[in-house]
Amino acid sequence: MAISLLNPKAEVARAAQALAINISAAKGIQDVMKSNLGPKGTVKMLVSGAGDIKITKDGNVLLHEMQIQHPTASLIARASTAQDDSTGDGTTSTVLVIGELLKQADIYIAEGLHPRILAEGFDQARTKALEVLDKIKIPVEINKENLTDVCRTSLRTKVHQKLADLLTDVCVDAVLALKQGDKPIDLHMIELMEMQHKTETDTSLIRGNISTKIIIANAGLVLDHGSRHPDMPKSLRNCYILTCNVSLEYEKSEVNSGFFYKTAEEREKMVVAEREFIDQRVRKIIALKKSLCDGKDKTFVVINQKGIDPISLDMLAKEGIMALRRAKRRNMERLALACGGDAVNSFDDLSESCLGYAGHVYEHVLGENKYTFVEECKVPQSVTILMKGPNKHTLIQIKDAIRDGLRAINNTIEDKALIPGAGAFEVTANKELLKFKDTVKGKVRLGIAAYAEALLGIPKTLAVNSGFDVQDTIVKLQEESRLSPDPIGLDLTSGEPIVPKDLGIFDNYIVKKQIINSCTIIASNLLLVDEIMRAGMSSLKG
Amino acid sequence: MNSKGILTLQFGHYSNFIGTHWWNIQEQGFDYTSHSEIDHDVLYREGVTNKHGVTFTPRLLLVDLKGSLKHLPERGELYDEPPKPTKSDVNWDSDLVEIEGVSGNNKNQFLKDLENPEESHKVLTKTYDLEKDVTVWSDFLYSRFHPRTVTVINEYQHENEHTPFDAFPLGKDLWNSSSFEDDFSNKIRSYVEECDYFQGFHLLSDCTDAFSGLSAGCMEHLEDDYCRKSILAFPVVPSFFPDSKFETKEQQCHAIINESVRVLNLALSFNAFNAHSSLFVPLCMGSKGWRQPGPKNEFNHTVYDSELAYHSSAILAAALDTFTLKHRLKSSSFSLVDLCADLSHNGRKAAAASLCMPFSFNVDANLLECLDNWEGPLTKSITPNCTIGSDRLMQYVILRGIREDRLKQQADRAEKQRNLPAYKCDSITEMLSLYLSYSTHATINNVTVVRKPLDVKTPFPRIFDEFIGQAGYVGATPRPGHINVESVPVMAGLHSGSGVGDMLESLYTEARRIKYPRFHQFINAGIDKDEYEACLESLLTLRENYMDNYYI
Repeated sequence: MAISLLNPKAEVARAAQALAINISAAKGIQDVMKSNLGPKGTVKMLVSGAGDIKITKDGNVLLHEMQIQHPTASLIARASTAQDDSTGDGTTSTVLVIGELLKQADIYIAEGLHPRILAEGFDQARTKALEVLDKIKIPVEINKENLTDVCRTSLRTKVHQKLADLLTDVCVDAVLALKQGDKPIDLHMIELMEMQHKTETDTSLIRGNISTKIIIANAGLVLDHGSRHPDMPKSLRNCYILTCNVSLEYEKSEVNSGFFYKTAEEREKMVVAEREFIDQRVRKIIALKKSLCDGKDKTFVVINQKGIDPISLDMLAKEGIMALRRAKRRNMERLALACGGDAVNSFDDLSESCLGYAGHVYEHVLGENKYTFVEECKVPQSVTILMKGPNKHTLIQIKDAIRDGLRAINNTIEDKALIPGAGAFEVTANKELLKFKDTVKGKVRLGIAAYAEALLGIPKTLAVNSGFDVQDTIVKLQEESRLSPDPIGLDLTSGEPIVPKDLGIFDNYIVKKQIINSCTIIASNLLLVDEIMRAGMSSLKG
Repeated sequence: MNSKGILTLQFGHYSNFIGTHWWNIQEQGFDYTSHSEIDHDVLYREGVTNKHGVTFTPRLLLVDLKGSLKHLPERGELYDEPPKPTKSDVNWDSDLVEIEGVSGNNKNQFLKDLENPEESHKVLTKTYDLEKDVTVWSDFLYSRFHPRTVTVINEYQHENEHTPFDAFPLGKDLWNSSSFEDDFSNKIRSYVEECDYFQGFHLLSDCTDAFSGLSAGCMEHLEDDYCRKSILAFPVVPSFFPDSKFETKEQQCHAIINESVRVLNLALSFNAFNAHSSLFVPLCMGSKGWRQPGPKNEFNHTVYDSELAYHSSAILAAALDTFTLKHRLKSSSFSLVDLCADLSHNGRKAAAASLCMPFSFNVDANLLECLDNWEGPLTKSITPNCTIGSDRLMQYVILRGIREDRLKQQADRAEKQRNLPAYKCDSITEMLSLYLSYSTHATINNVTVVRKPLDVKTPFPRIFDEFIGQAGYVGATPRPGHINVESVPVMAGLHSGSGVGDMLESLYTEARRIKYPRFHQFINAGIDKDEYEACLESLLTLRENYMDNYYI
């Protein structure tokens, strides 16, 4: 072996031993994650040594928290991360399916089947499973009802049912507000804003299952800062909104620095001249405000991406203009979408057409944080979801859930189709694959059988997590599936077979597709590994 | 909030060591009276907690890897009580919630005392065995942070050999991952938004590992979004790497490879600093910096262990606190822009720093006598591979902790001193300027004098020898054992001159020698050979800016 000649210290594991390492690792992380799957799975609360809390049920987050050192396990973890990046859901399922595939493979390999034949079977099974997926997918119209169904299914696996239903409405409303014809939706146009309220007073008011109140600022935007001048108005109605990216802040120029000016007077003169330049900009804003608002029932708000210094703020405040500095870049886009108008980069040709409009702009102060609400906009194509919670970790948990919900809705809009949930796809694919197996000649069919069995891992785990007998449930499901023309899923409250479509339980097409593809590839690759080497850094890096 | 705020950014573990010392030093020296020379509002901010408590916390953002904070909660303890893990706020059936805790870290005695209201006021004068107790920077953290301050990188773990965070492009990629950039740039924005006259950024970054890439990404962002604000950057190199203590042949190979990786990171990061900062000043307590940190920088009357990050970072923090004083004074309108502009003429973006700690000043001496007897340069370079020299420089020198009444002998007892030309000087600034103008050639000197010495009470390490007294002056007899040094006079400087060019040349030569294609972790992460070559070329161009023989 070449490597052991070059580096006698390299650790090598071969053939059966290598496979055993891979399989046990895959099974190992499958065991850790199993209990988290589905609406009856457990939630983990991770407490760090310093007392930081993280609440999660998401397979991907857990994998990262576990700090996996094992190379095989980290390969699986990466597949699950990829799943999260591309679809936002199904991370736990990915781990479970890979684990299950290897577990089934292990049985056959123990009987002497060559891994390559298994891998080939897996590949054929994958093609077939994708066919089944296409067959059972239900083309849907994009309407509130359908989106609500898929979003609710996804969210109920992340947060408590009551909260999930509330969040579902919020997410669906947000996406529908943004949707314009067939144009793809930019989820960045939905701002998620956290507001942590005073612990003692507020929690006592809203204890119970939902310790969080969520408001959707549907008609506009919430900015996480306010005006920085004591005399500026705190609330305005009928506002023109000027969004701009122009510095209103005097900055010393470099020629004006240290070594070159010996006396303070000399410097002051320079400063005054340079200051005038900024003042002119401010006067332009004031002139526009005067021409538009004076004598009418209109007010003026400036939202600037650059800075505004106290002198400029003072000039604006005297005119009753509300001015915000250092707005988030993305909020500039959002403001243009929500209020109309354009963000201007210079004040050279400032006119009414650049301005947006909002019915009500007001400030809200919470501790040292200020928030500015921009509401009653002309064309609300941008939305802020405001989350209130008593502590950071709950807020983060809700934020994660909302993100996933939004992704689920967006996936549906892009797929224009849904898959019946509650394990229906797995049960159906199992049935179809077993049929397909009989048409295939040779040992490859064993690979297909293993694949079919592995898919059942999902409904099995769902059953275990809900406290039902596995064999009982699976037999019932398979029987019912044979008789019924519709895909059959598992009712987690009764343990009986159901038609998920009738109950509005749906999954995303793209999520399932991605799971089938990536799990098959990872599992096959792991099976085909016949040697694992761990060599010192000196031989690999140098 | 009417002052000229500066936002400090710290990237990496060693930078955080330095930063921790720096904030500790400042908080010990807080002077709430109106005649304080230093304007604390420049680096600190006033805030209000949700319970209406007023806070005064560093205007600071720091980044470190997961697992490096030990007992310090990410959001600090100042604003929220550390939350109790209760199942009821999980939003899930509470019988389906599992609580998984990592075993709590034991706090050291210093931190325990700090928490205890009865002990906390004594902490500054008590003696602890921090040399042994300190493994991470939060072990000796005296300041308390705003909840926004700490950012933890969850993707990589502290001191993890399997997935090390060791290559420039890894940091760059991390910055570009949308969640990190969004979150971090939003934190920057929140700090900047609240400042009325924002000056710019102090940026400390480890530049031997992937934090260099992270800070490079951050600087690009700062340049885009805060285009006219200055960025004063301090790339830092630890003075000791554990892998340099090898025993076996294999460990030696390991060490050599790691050294090369560090040089690559340094080269790439210096290039980034050159492109995006207003001025950068590399700092290291080893005199060489690369490939090995080299022999440690020695100071008179100072005994320290360069293998302890706790020690070496304290000295760098003292320097940092001193040479940034000029733009933090209440009395002057000198700002960060001025400093950066003055020291970076002709594209000389790199500068050197120097330090003399303690500034050797006898208990009964005066400055005239002290300078008259001084041998060699006043300060020593703390920039690796850089001899500052005394020829054709632009330099800022700051002296703190010497009172004006110690300037010279009184006229009636002056004797020989009267004959010296320096006897005519009426202030320390004047005398020091005079001294510098005689001891340097073709140099622009700028001297700043601050009354306040550097506070070195616990948790600053006890690194001064027995001849340094309580107030930091050199005595003839050893200081009694029960008395500790509480403050010291310090001199520090920032210099731009041809010596900096030599530093760049040495880095260029080292980086040139490395066979880049063998370092697949850099290439895989997207910096190919051509890009690396381009980086070396621009280092060379920067180096040429320091060649002044062309003009003569």
